[in-house]
Amino acid sequence: MKLGVFMSDYRSGSDVIERLQAEKLGIILVGNGVYHAAAKENGGASSVLSKQATFYVLVEDLESRGFTAANIDSRVKVVNYGDVVDLIFNDYEKIIWI
Amino acid sequence: MAIKKYAFVVKSLPYKIESSRLAMTHAISSQTVEIYLEDGENVEPVICFIGDGVLNCVKGHQAMKHYGVTSLEQHIKNALLLDLKVLICKEDVDKFGLSEASLIMDAEDIGGETKAQVVPYSEIQQALDSADHLLFN
Repeated sequence: MKLGVFMSDYRSGSDVIERLQAEKLGIILVGNGVYHAAAKENGGASSVLSKQATFYVLVEDLESRGFTAANIDSRVKVVNYGDVVDLIFNDYEKIIWI
Repeated sequence: MAIKKYAFVVKSLPYKIESSRLAMTHAISSQTVEIYLEDGENVEPVICFIGDGVLNCVKGHQAMKHYGVTSLEQHIKNALLLDLKVLICKEDVDKFGLSEASLIMDAEDIGGETKAQVVPYSEIQQALDSADHLLFN
């Protein structure tokens, strides 16, 4: 399946991400999930980013928290609300929110 | 003379839930209770950012632009404008690899003179020890 996952937390949901399997997996970091893309806790990137998946981060949520596209991990693509709508309709068959 | 010390401890990330905003607004509003107090009485708040809470202090929030709400950055600056003591945990700042240059350390742009302080947790612990009331958010 082609699965899109909205991740809106920083401290929970990583265990679910770890176990999810999909032929095509997209993880869209929104809300406080953007810290997976922007924070470098203890000098390292979030373990979530080691998952085999395509990562997106919502720029509106990123900028609201004081970060910019220049601050984020290179594995993550920056998208806006319009792009997220396109992802939902064009790229993934199923969408979940964790 | 009675001074009541309040410590507001922010340990949550901003925006998804209202915790950090509530801590800030309560700390700021504590300054208005003077009108209900007798002569010689007062309240002295301190705001402490610890753990994930230090991420509230990253400069450049654009919450008004994207969410249409007052940013936590503006709340922190308003607290500094009112000369509230703002302490940010150094260990947690270091843990996230943040520098003071990337943090909201002053409110000079709105006329504030008080600066936030990045301090070791031991100093925050002292503030908690000396407070009459603790509020964790």
